[in-house]
Amino acid sequence: MPWYLYLALKQLFSSGQRLFFTLISIVSVALGVMLLIIVMSVMGGFRYEIRQKIVDTQGDLQVRASGFISNSNALEKVINAIPGVEASTAFAQGVVMLEKDQKPSFPSIQGLDMRTVGKVIPLNRYIIEGTLQDLDDDSVILSSQLAVSLGARVGDAVQIYTPLMLEVAKGQDEVLLPTELKVIGIFEIGHQQLDSSTVLVTLRRMQQLYGLGQGVHGINVRIAASEDADTVTQRINEALKNAQSKTLDIIPGLRARSWSELNQEFLWVLQLEKNIMTVILLAVVIVSAFLTMSLLLVLVLKKTREIGLLGALGATRKQIALCFCFQGVSIGIVGTGLGLIFGFTFLHFRNDVVLLVTRFTGSQAILERFYQFSQMPSHTSFSDLVIVVVSAIILSTLAGLIPAFIAARLKPVEALRNE
Amino acid sequence: MNNTVLSALGLVKGYQSGDRRLEILRGLNLSVFPGETVSIRGESGSGKSTLLHLLAGLDSPESGTIVWGDESKPDSVRRSGYLGMVFQAFYLIPELTARENILMAKRIQGGLNATAYARADELLNKVGLSERSHHFPSQLSGGECQRVAVARALMNSPRVIVADEPTGNLDEQTGDGVIQLLLDLCSDMKTSLVLVTHNPIHAARTHTRLLLKQGVLEDI
Repeated sequence: MPWYLYLALKQLFSSGQRLFFTLISIVSVALGVMLLIIVMSVMGGFRYEIRQKIVDTQGDLQVRASGFISNSNALEKVINAIPGVEASTAFAQGVVMLEKDQKPSFPSIQGLDMRTVGKVIPLNRYIIEGTLQDLDDDSVILSSQLAVSLGARVGDAVQIYTPLMLEVAKGQDEVLLPTELKVIGIFEIGHQQLDSSTVLVTLRRMQQLYGLGQGVHGINVRIAASEDADTVTQRINEALKNAQSKTLDIIPGLRARSWSELNQEFLWVLQLEKNIMTVILLAVVIVSAFLTMSLLLVLVLKKTREIGLLGALGATRKQIALCFCFQGVSIGIVGTGLGLIFGFTFLHFRNDVVLLVTRFTGSQAILERFYQFSQMPSHTSFSDLVIVVVSAIILSTLAGLIPAFIAARLKPVEALRNE
Repeated sequence: MNNTVLSALGLVKGYQSGDRRLEILRGLNLSVFPGETVSIRGESGSGKSTLLHLLAGLDSPESGTIVWGDESKPDSVRRSGYLGMVFQAFYLIPELTARENILMAKRIQGGLNATAYARADELLNKVGLSERSHHFPSQLSGGECQRVAVARALMNSPRVIVADEPTGNLDEQTGDGVIQLLLDLCSDMKTSLVLVTHNPIHAARTHTRLLLKQGVLEDI
């Protein structure tokens, strides 16, 4: 090991007062890094979870038209032939009134094409009671919180009223008869809005409820894992344009949108929040870098005669500068390492921490309703990790540069004269 | 052919003090031969430390030449192997033990190996601090610190040692011991010594005794 690295480590981690100051510098860097990694991971987690929920419930992209699509089979054939597309499934959706034991609820309803839905939407992953395969035209799957609020269990019957029934009833003097369906399953996605009021039925039942005939509201598409959603979306739109001019009937407003385009504004706000928080928390690391710099400056002043001695022993200016610069780098590396350990430990226990905090500050249900997630999400991307590590180490190195420059400028003969 | 280990020819050095210029050295000449011990005495402010810094290549003369053996351009890289220094204030690195302080001279020169460790242990033995090799400077007395500094100066087997009032911070008895140790070690290792001192008794123990007066050296 070069002598300047050896001496830098000895000076940094010697016992007594100096070690105390070193630890303060390291802890300040570690705190900054810890805060950065926690905030960036949680913000990244929100984006990641939202993407996951969207993709798991809608596919990677969605094809919709201005109205409903009557020839979905032909359209699906066109979509499935596009490179990068793995599968597609038609859907219809709307809002209904659901009633059990005189207790009404107004959930959104999704009609699933049972032949293809499993290839696009991994709903089985979220079914907590019953199975998706048991879903037929006379049954329904409820979201977990909706089932709780209605007091419905698997095997119970629920009544569904649709807007179509109201329209039929308006013109004629008819009795409004609801459709009775049997609850055969309960699902929980972990997204508060979806879990609180969603009902799943077969596409055929949904078409009957809404009087769509063979029509659907859209087509969800799953793409290959190696493909980019925006690129495949572009391919689909080009293919749809060509197909409409040749084989398909013209469908007004027919267009594919990727998951990110469908949620563009929300994702932009999320990214903006993340960027602002990163800049604010980076200030903590900058402050810790100034602390490191001031401690190293004091060290240079205290060590002036030792610096003169090193020169007298044959050390070059560059080596003396490296000795002090390396102390800044070491503080940065150790502080960053500790910060990452503290940060990831906190992230590991984040839900326990949230539980603890909500125990003192209020109901967790409010938190879930507001943030939509039953668990605090966390996702650390490699790029975020690189940004945190590199910025902390660069700032600490810069903090060591000024004291190093001052130390290197000292002439041995003047340093030795210093009292 | 020049057979000196250290020589100074016509050294001139001065300092600016406000509007006045102080002439410290005025064409000073000095020759130190292999194994020779030289003492330099002089009043405070006469330029003894300035002369030592010039001889060690830590400072540059305004005119004149310093010659180390056959080399007339002293530089820091060569200094670590050619010339050892002992200072009044010891200048031990507080974060290093006695043994590590001695080894620091070798670390800076480069080539730290098992032989260097053995040499450091041998020097510790010679200065009587074998038992205290793992003690830090704060755990050593002034005399012990100066003995460590002497061992450090000898670590790279230099041709010459320059010592700037090495007993200035020590009591008389301890100071006597350190000077005797320095002279004995230089004699054993055939190392030349340039000793700056106020003490006439210490000066009397050297081969050549000089007085720095009005910027030049005079024989006593």
